Amino acid sequence: MKLYAYCLASGIDTLYEPVQGISAARVRLLKTEDLGVLVSDFDADTVPVTRENALAHAAVVRSVLDKTTPLPFRFGTLVNELQLRNYISTHKDAIDTKLKHVSECVEMSVKIIRDVSADSQREPLEKYQDNEQGIGAMFLAEKRREIIGDERRAAQAAELSAWLRESLHGLIRDEQVTVRPGEKLVLSAAFLVEMVKFGPYREKVAQICAERPDLHFLLSGPWPPYSFAGLELEFKSQFGVS
Amino acid sequence: MELSPKTPLPAEPAIETSHVEEFVEQLRCVTDTLPSRINIDAQSVEQGLAKLVLTLIEFIRRLLEKQAVRRMEGGDLSPEQIEELGLALMRLEAKLQELKTQFRLADEELNLDLGPIGRLI
Repeated sequence: MKLYAYCLASGIDTLYEPVQGISAARVRLLKTEDLGVLVSDFDADTVPVTRENALAHAAVVRSVLDKTTPLPFRFGTLVNELQLRNYISTHKDAIDTKLKHVSECVEMSVKIIRDVSADSQREPLEKYQDNEQGIGAMFLAEKRREIIGDERRAAQAAELSAWLRESLHGLIRDEQVTVRPGEKLVLSAAFLVEMVKFGPYREKVAQICAERPDLHFLLSGPWPPYSFAGLELEFKSQFGVS
Repeated sequence: MELSPKTPLPAEPAIETSHVEEFVEQLRCVTDTLPSRINIDAQSVEQGLAKLVLTLIEFIRRLLEKQAVRRMEGGDLSPEQIEELGLALMRLEAKLQELKTQFRLADEELNLDLGPIGRLI
């Protein structure tokens, strides 16, 4: 029998309410050293990636969020008890550091879609385009126009990222920002926000959204700190891949 | 840890946007490009290898294009050299397009996620 591992946490000695996990299995707290791991029994080799399972995983991790900030395991983490205990004892310092880093925080997400219609204006081909040029020169002139456009988009995306970071300065403990200048979904950010700063963070983000009506925002949270867990698990089976 | 009563932390996560459909479409594109599961069989190995090789060729092709444009802008190429270089790069692009069609790969599939560094292209 394998264990499905949901998250690691400190400061919890028992689960006060019964929690159902993947495949409606009862979740229990496995104590090891001074840490607790939320696990449930699982008797297959792989975990189907379904909406139901994903929601069950999220619900279990979230169930302890009002008591402590857990470090979530990656969805589909299957282990046996010995592997889990060995992992924790050999990585104890790193786990403690991570737990301290996310302590009393939640993850808030900001995604931004940029209005691409502003890009429709084409750069002039200038001196590289004239009727006497051959097809090869015309091709290079077109490439030059594309490169200039790419560079402009990259600069705009970097500016957007810097603006967001500067606007939230003092309200976040950490951030994970992904910028994709060439895509419509230009920025995806996860912010680690201390719970006591949750209200001011929300107010600031509302202000940010109002400041830039040209951008489309998707805000979500509070989430357990999925983007900041970063546990390098070395178990043999994740998603059934050895 | 007890939360301060002043902390307005909601019991459930909320998702807020005025552009739901747009985000659903974009997030679906992102998840479509994520490797869902490693499934090793003869056909997928061939396809995966082609994807990797063509991604690297595409990356090099783009570098060559940039280099050619920089040289053109720098004025150190004669009109004949510009024409010749442009034609060579155009043929390379056409050939790569042909290979992508042969392996049924879309433009957006030719990329590598390098984790925290970002994407290759």
